[in-house]
Amino acid sequence: MRAPILVPIRAAVRPIAYRAIVPLVSIAAALAVSAVIIVIVGASPLEAYGAMLRGAVGGIGSLATTAVRATPLLLTGLAVALSFRAGIFNIGAEGQLYAGAALSAAVALLPLDLPAIVHVPLTLAAGFLGGALWALVPGWLRAYRGVSEVVTTLMLNFVGIQLVAYLVDPIDGPMGERGASYAQSQVIAESAELPILIRGTSLHAGLLIGLGLAVGLFVLIKYTPLGFRLRMLGGNPVAARFAGLSEKREILVVMLLSGGIAGLAGAAEVMGLRHRLYDRFSPGYGYDGIAVALLAGSNPLAVILSATFFGGLRAGANAMQQSTGIETSVVLIIQALTILFVILGPLRGWARARAARSSESVEASASAV
Amino acid sequence: MRTGDERLVVAARDVSGAPELLRMEEVTKRFGRLVADDAVTFDVRAGEIHALLGENGAGKSTLMKILYGLQQPDDGRILIDGRQVEIGSPHEAVSLGIGMVHQHFMLVPTLTAIENVVLGMPTDRPPLLDLRDARKRLVELAERYRLAIAPDVPVWQMSVGAQQRLEILKALYRSARLLVLDEPTAVLAPQEADQLFKIMRHLASEGRGIVFISHKLAEVKAVSDRVTVLRHGRVTGQLPTADASASELATMMVGREVKLGRTAPPMAGGDPVLELEAVSCQTDRETAGLRGVTLTVRAGEIVGIAGVDGNGQSEMVECIAGLRSLTAGRLTIKGEVLQGALRNPALLGLIPEDRYSQGLVGDFSVAENLVLKAYSRPPFTERGFLRWGRINGHARAQIEAFDIRTPGPLAKARSLSGGNQQKVIVARETQEQPALLVASQPTRGLDVGAVENVLTLIRRQRDRGAAVLFISTELSELFALSDRVVVFHNGEIMGEVPPDPALLGQVGEMMMGRSLASIRSEAGSAA
Repeated sequence: MRAPILVPIRAAVRPIAYRAIVPLVSIAAALAVSAVIIVIVGASPLEAYGAMLRGAVGGIGSLATTAVRATPLLLTGLAVALSFRAGIFNIGAEGQLYAGAALSAAVALLPLDLPAIVHVPLTLAAGFLGGALWALVPGWLRAYRGVSEVVTTLMLNFVGIQLVAYLVDPIDGPMGERGASYAQSQVIAESAELPILIRGTSLHAGLLIGLGLAVGLFVLIKYTPLGFRLRMLGGNPVAARFAGLSEKREILVVMLLSGGIAGLAGAAEVMGLRHRLYDRFSPGYGYDGIAVALLAGSNPLAVILSATFFGGLRAGANAMQQSTGIETSVVLIIQALTILFVILGPLRGWARARAARSSESVEASASAV
Repeated sequence: MRTGDERLVVAARDVSGAPELLRMEEVTKRFGRLVADDAVTFDVRAGEIHALLGENGAGKSTLMKILYGLQQPDDGRILIDGRQVEIGSPHEAVSLGIGMVHQHFMLVPTLTAIENVVLGMPTDRPPLLDLRDARKRLVELAERYRLAIAPDVPVWQMSVGAQQRLEILKALYRSARLLVLDEPTAVLAPQEADQLFKIMRHLASEGRGIVFISHKLAEVKAVSDRVTVLRHGRVTGQLPTADASASELATMMVGREVKLGRTAPPMAGGDPVLELEAVSCQTDRETAGLRGVTLTVRAGEIVGIAGVDGNGQSEMVECIAGLRSLTAGRLTIKGEVLQGALRNPALLGLIPEDRYSQGLVGDFSVAENLVLKAYSRPPFTERGFLRWGRINGHARAQIEAFDIRTPGPLAKARSLSGGNQQKVIVARETQEQPALLVASQPTRGLDVGAVENVLTLIRRQRDRGAAVLFISTELSELFALSDRVVVFHNGEIMGEVPPDPALLGQVGEMMMGRSLASIRSEAGSAA
């Protein structure tokens, strides 16, 4: 006989464990397939992955790099995950990130003589607002005109990227640094910079914002009436309407929140890392956010793990290239394969069935007590 | 059960000498721990109408899915014309001469009748789509079996009855010798059902085998030659229809005796609660949904709405719920014109017609579904946060009070049976004792035991003084429960009668579009 106290604990942990199976197996499968590719290009996978691991987690510096790379992914991942939970496919985090970066940079560049305690929140708020504004039009079109948000958010990504390119143009951009060799703004005011967490690294407080938001969104989704409404909308919009929910308003709220969070990702990059607004500063963080959210099953707490994984891949890629000469693009292959396996994994149905069964056994053991 | 159906009864013929078209032997199908079909043996002879009778979840549909190649049996074998066959897909089933008319039609709404018929078949002149010969053949078939159909009308413009005829034609066009009709009368008015039975007889007389799936005893008695009764996946009876009484069949089907009849005389209502004055509205397709409907439902009465599906009932419900806007007229609840009556559960309880897609969030737990409207109010939300302890505690109490069969409050709503899903909805919608309860097709797809339960719960609401609007396509239920019966046709009220079984015929005619006045004047002149 097992200790009876263990039964409910085991029963509670098991569904979570089953939910972790799909992402973990997908990652393993992606690494295995990528290993074959590495062999084909004539290198040793073990060596390559070893170098990558050292680059990602080998020492304080590497860990800091991973965290820095993970920060924008964490924020865009949360933005996308939130919309997914409400059944809305905001794939415009990239554009919203640029819009947030632009508006926050504008505030951060203002020659105001403000203490950081005021200037930093103000700049962050501007970043949120910029992203939310960028999501407002698709949100409104979806809610009141039934236009698919997939198309509109995607299209606005290109507009957002080009908007920033115009703003920081060195010749005639309103925010561009005149005569600079690269399209960039002036350096932002020091009072608007996010503090560095570990001296000697570039790890900035944007990470804390992301972690705080992850917990906050988890609480919002699970423990507040707004979260209940969003899940209802995502679970069955027709039933939500029959329960008296104002679908339109909720769609707009979700889009604004989601866009705002993606905007924060842009603001954190500007305020914490780059200290300028650059043309094309994002290597696709907004799109990667979709991958992060998918791998995390749109659970805000799991987004922390999946953003860390993707951040680690990016951080390790450079180390791998230096020591083995393999192109960093291998990590893109790993990332893409992981998502592919998550989406089409035949494991999915099986894991879901197991999770359902073990949640039944939670019920059974609960009623047995 | 339907009464007064004697005119339908056609003497069952003895076909015991005819060759066996189909034999399913000891077929077993398991889904995890659930045994859907347990060593079921079932056969159909040429020229026979064989009824497959059973409650929902008894294994009828699974058995037919196996026959149509949609599911593979775990055990047992299938013989067609005495030869053992493997049916791996519907395509193979069709080539073996099996035709299926599903309960939910498998038609493409935007395509025309003829296009739907040839869909999936090779064309005469590839790669071009030449429909001339196909159209000719379809028209011939339609004339021969009196299955009136317009070949070039898109399906979405067809009535439900026409769509069903088209489904049958589709099977005949593919030379089906064995035709499976899954609950074919569920969507028909009584007179249309009679017409269907004639067609079935005609098809059988040509040597085809017909499987008639139903849970309505009167129809099984009326049209079939032989009947097989399933309960919990097992055959509980197989006998010539002539040898079986309705009550015997009911007992085989349910495993105990069932009473669905009236228990009390009609009640007169009190103050008006729901009032519609010349209400008109549009459908989703922007055609007329309601045409000047005037109706009053009073406290303490059940007003039954009879009518074939799709004659304005759904639109009326949505108007009452504030989900559809009126184009004319006035709709009041307790004397007030309301926006969003749905958000006031003490005023309006609504049991929507499609419980799974409109009434529940399948991925939500039973507990969450029980507070789908009340989640944001105390005691479920306090100081801005959901109180899961109370939500789950409330669920445990409701599960107890309404006898909801579930592993527990945390089980997903999708995992419950239809009857228990409906109990979740009824529990939620009556919890705050609404002044008006609108129940739209509340028993659709439920088995006999669950129907009894749901009807009792609705009756209890009336007895405590609620005004109840009860919409159903099952006349037997309407007559058993309602205090008045109002008949809808094409968005209009055809007339109102007391729930007297002698008036069933009149209700049937009104469902077909004749007004009560014209029926009575004809009856008067005949006398």
